[in-house]
Order: sequence, then structure tokens, then C-alpha cells
Amino acid sequence: MKWYFSNDAPIYAQLIGQIRRGIVSGVFPPGERLPSVRELATEAGVNPNTMQRAMAELERDGLVYSQRTAGRFVTEDRGRIDDFRRRLAAEHVRRFLEDMEQLGFSRGEILSLLPQATRKEGDAHGDPGM
Amino acid sequence: MLRKLMKHEFRATGRVMLPLYLVVLVTSVGANLSIRRLMDTDVPLINVLASLLIIAFAMAILAVCAMTVILMIRRFYMNLLRDEGYVMMTLPVSIHQQIWSKLLVSLVWFIATGAVVLLAVNAAAYDVHAMQELWGWVQEIFAYLTRDLPAFFHSTAFLVEFLALGALTSFVTCLHFYAALAIGHSASGHKMALSVAAFFAIQWIGQLVSGMFFFSPLVDRIGDLAYSLMESGGAHLLLLGVIGGLAAVGAVLYAVTIYFLSRRLNLE
Amino acid sequence: MAILECNGLSKSYGKTAALEDVSFSIEPGRIVGLLGPNGSGKTTLIKLANGLLTPTAGKIEICNETPGPDTRAVVSYLPERTSIPTWMTARQLLDFYEDFYEDFRRDAAEEMLAHLNIAPGQSIRQMSKGTREKVQLIVVMSRAAQLYLLDEPIGGVDPATRDYILSTIIGNYDPQAAVVISTHLIADVEKVLDEVIFLDRGKVVLRSGVDDIRENKGMSVDELFREVFRC
Repeated sequence: MKWYFSNDAPIYAQLIGQIRRGIVSGVFPPGERLPSVRELATEAGVNPNTMQRAMAELERDGLVYSQRTAGRFVTEDRGRIDDFRRRLAAEHVRRFLEDMEQLGFSRGEILSLLPQATRKEGDAHGDPGM
Repeated sequence: MLRKLMKHEFRATGRVMLPLYLVVLVTSVGANLSIRRLMDTDVPLINVLASLLIIAFAMAILAVCAMTVILMIRRFYMNLLRDEGYVMMTLPVSIHQQIWSKLLVSLVWFIATGAVVLLAVNAAAYDVHAMQELWGWVQEIFAYLTRDLPAFFHSTAFLVEFLALGALTSFVTCLHFYAALAIGHSASGHKMALSVAAFFAIQWIGQLVSGMFFFSPLVDRIGDLAYSLMESGGAHLLLLGVIGGLAAVGAVLYAVTIYFLSRRLNLE
Repeated sequence: MAILECNGLSKSYGKTAALEDVSFSIEPGRIVGLLGPNGSGKTTLIKLANGLLTPTAGKIEICNETPGPDTRAVVSYLPERTSIPTWMTARQLLDFYEDFYEDFRRDAAEEMLAHLNIAPGQSIRQMSKGTREKVQLIVVMSRAAQLYLLDEPIGGVDPATRDYILSTIIGNYDPQAAVVISTHLIADVEKVLDEVIFLDRGKVVLRSGVDDIRENKGMSVDELFREVFRC
């Protein structure tokens, strides 16, 4: 997994966001054992305490759980993961709409742009020459 | 820890001294050849070769003596006061152990150099007859010194006193350089110039103090006492006096070195 | 128990004050950045912690002890300048560290040498400046110390080595030990730090958690640093 960090938000919050995304997108599949905090911290290049803090937060979310000796696992509760997928989607849509409004598009215009964009993408996928 | 410090000190110095000793011994064989064989011919080329061998031998002896002193100074300077000081001065050892490891290893090299030079001079001059004669003298002297119990005691005492004197001279010589370098390098600039100045300042103070001592009435008393005891140990008394004096000088220089290295260290 | 504690610590060279009335403590398990422009007193502070300098006033303690042979046994120090003896080979240097430090993990050191393609038999004198720096960092990080004092560990190294050094620091993390990293290259190390101490002309001007800065000010430590020390 690739890790990216911006300058304007706390690192632990960015870690939570990226691990959530990893779980939702299947990089960390349901029920899978997660690497140790130290391994994850080394991989992400962050402080182990910060990674620990992010993990604690994810446990509170119910996305991961820890077993005293075996380590930390991704939840097997697919419903909960799906919940987060929808939450993430809603967040993206909200931000998209905000950006578009900033560019001066009305709701109607935005909605009319969407079918065009999906059609183009479909063409691109249909034409191997592209 | 002192043992470990000395082990690494020997590693660091041995790689310089041991090859030099080898060079001295090899050139001594050359010199021997030159003295006993090559000098006698009339062939000019061989005469030149003979002189070259002798010169090489003399140079090697000079080099090994100079190197023993230079290395003693250089090890202290490079190892404790320059970049390496960051590693050495943060080892879990006391500053006393640092100084003693250097003093003791230097003493060993002084003795070793003396022994090697003696051996080399003998090897250069090697001649069975001369050696037999020398050995005869040694035996005679030994027999004289151990002719009866008092003589044996005297000579043993002299031996111990001379050994102590030798070791102390070595320590004081080292500490003179150590103290000067430690003082000079506590400044933030002109460290070397100040070290040289400190060296001569220490020497000057030493002469002043010893001068005051020799012109004091105390020294006359000791002289009289020694004279009156001449047969039964006046010489020992004098020697012990010198040993005591040297030990006092050494102790002062040691304290100065320790103070400047522990309280006034100023690595670049 | 604090691993490193300063109380009213001051150090002056003649009339110039290098540190003035510095007080803070560092707890176990923390990775702390000591940040400040050149000449702000970072190196002086680290030298004081190693007993290479004596305080003019105040005190500095490591695990409740004044710096000395006992504290040096639990402190692993990377000086600002490369200072390993150059006449040794890398292997002899490991012998040296193994002899003097009970907490030296030789296998870890050998593994790191191999990872960075440094031949143990190579003499340190023949190594490039960068390689020497790496070797010294390897012996320093191969100790299981209580306190690591790293003075500009990523100063003159290439980006790949910098990443390796930082991941070594993270991989070496021990909840019982503390790490102090002095640097002016903040953007590179900030993610590795728990908290930062800003030093300016010998005084502590800020002490804060990295995420607290980001949370409260909405900017990275690097950005804050540029703001505080704007020329």
C-alpha cells in the first residue's frame, strides 16, 4: 500500500483515512490479520505511537479488532465495512459537489455532465486502441 | 574496562610500532654485514653499499625512537581531542581509565623500543668474542651485587628504585605532553599554539619550583643526612627523594590533565 | 521516570550564552525532534547530555543521573561529525563497540552493513564520506540503548539513505527508550516524531506534539518552523 500525507491535517487522522480506505477497497480484506504496528509504521514512515493511536481509533470504529495474543484483524462484519464504504462515498460526493459549485456549475448542469462523463469512460473502455 | 581500553590502544599503536621494530632488526643485520665484511674491501661500490647499510641502520634507530614519542603524543591528541574524541570520550569508562590506558601502553612501548634498540645494536655489532666478554662482565657484576645478604638487599632495592624511577620518568614525560594538550584544547581557537605555550609554561614552572627547592635550606639537610648515611643507605634516601619528587610532579600533571579533559573539554 | 531531564540548564562559552535556562523532560517511548536554526544550541544540548561539556548552571540528568560513565552505558550518541577511528575496518569497529557496550547487537549491525552493501573487511579510511556516516549510524543504531541522541543524522545523505535511516529509527522503536533527533531538515523527519522542541538562540521557544501543531494550527511542523524562524 502507498501512503500519502498532506501538510494540513494531523498525521494520525490521515492514517485512519488511508487504512479505512484500504479496508473498504479490499487491500486489507475482511478477517485478515493486519501487520504489527511497528511494521505498519515502518512501511508508512510514521511514528509508531501515531500508528498506535490510529489503530485505537479504528478499533473504536469497529473496523478492526485485536486478539490479545494473535494480533489485530480486519473485522469480518461486511455490513460495517459497507457502512464505511457508503460514508466514504457520501464524503466524496459532497466534496465533488462543493468543488463543482466553486467552479460555477449549478446542480442541474452537474447532473447533466455525469452521464456524458460515464459514457466517455465506457467508450474508452470499449476501444482497446485508446 | 581498563583492560579493554589497553587492548584497543595496543591494536592502534602496534600496527605502527611492530613493523618499525622489524625494520630496525632487518637493518641491524645489514649493518652487521657491513661492519664485519663489506668495510674491509677496496672495491668502492661495496664501500658505498657498506656506508649506506650503516646509515639505514642509524636512520631506523632514530626513526623508531622518534616514533615512540610521536605516537605517544599523537594518540592522545588524535584519539581524545580530535574527531575520535566524540567516540572515545563517550565510552562508558572513566577519564582516569582513559589516561591510564595511554600511560601504561606508552610505558610498554618505551620499554619495548629500548629493548629492540639494545638488541639491534648488539645484532649489528655481533661478534661471538665480544658477546662472551660482555656476558662475563654481567656475571661478575651479578656475583658482586649478591656476594652477601646486605649487598643482595641493596642491589634489589636499587633495582626496584631504578624501575620506579624509569616508570615515573615515562609517566611524567607523557603527562607533560598530555597536560599541555589538554590545556591548549580547552580553548575555542588556536588550540595547537596554546598547547605549545602550555608545554613551555609547565616546563618553566617545573624549573622554578625545582630551583626553589634546590636553593632551600631543606635540601642541605637532606644532603647532610644522606652523606652521614652514605654506607648504610644514603644513596637509597636520595633516590627515594627523587622518586617522591617525580611522583609529586606526575600527580600534579595528572590532576591538571584530568581536570581539563573532564571539566573543560571543548571538542570541535 | 524521565529518560532525559534538564532543569534551568545554561551553558556559556566565555561571554556568549549557548543555552539559557532550558528546562524540559523526555519520557520513555518518545521520539523527539530538537529543532532550530544553526547556532540555536542543539549540539550544545546534546554534548551536555553526553558529558562532553559541563553546564555553566542548572542540571541535566539521564535516568536521574548526571552524565558520566554510567549514563554513557545507556546512551547511544551519533555526533554531528563522523568520528569513528579511520584506521579500523568495519569489522574491527564492531569488535570495538561489542567490547565496550553490553547492549550492542552485533547481528543487527552485520545485517545493516550487508543491507547497505558495506564490506566488513573494508578499512574505514578507504570509504567515502557518505559510507563512513552510514557505518557510524549503523553502530549507533545497533545498540539497545535507553536514549539515542542523534545529532543531524540525515544531514548530508542521499534520499534513499535518508529513508533507510528513518525506517531504521522506526523499526528500532522501543517503548522503554527515547530518541532525540536534532535537525534542521524538518519536513523529512516530522512524520517520525511524537513531539518537537524548538530552540532559538539557546532558549526553548516551543514544545508541542506534532499532531497537536497540525490540529491546532492547520499546518505542518515544517511550515510552523518557517513561520517562527522567518528571516
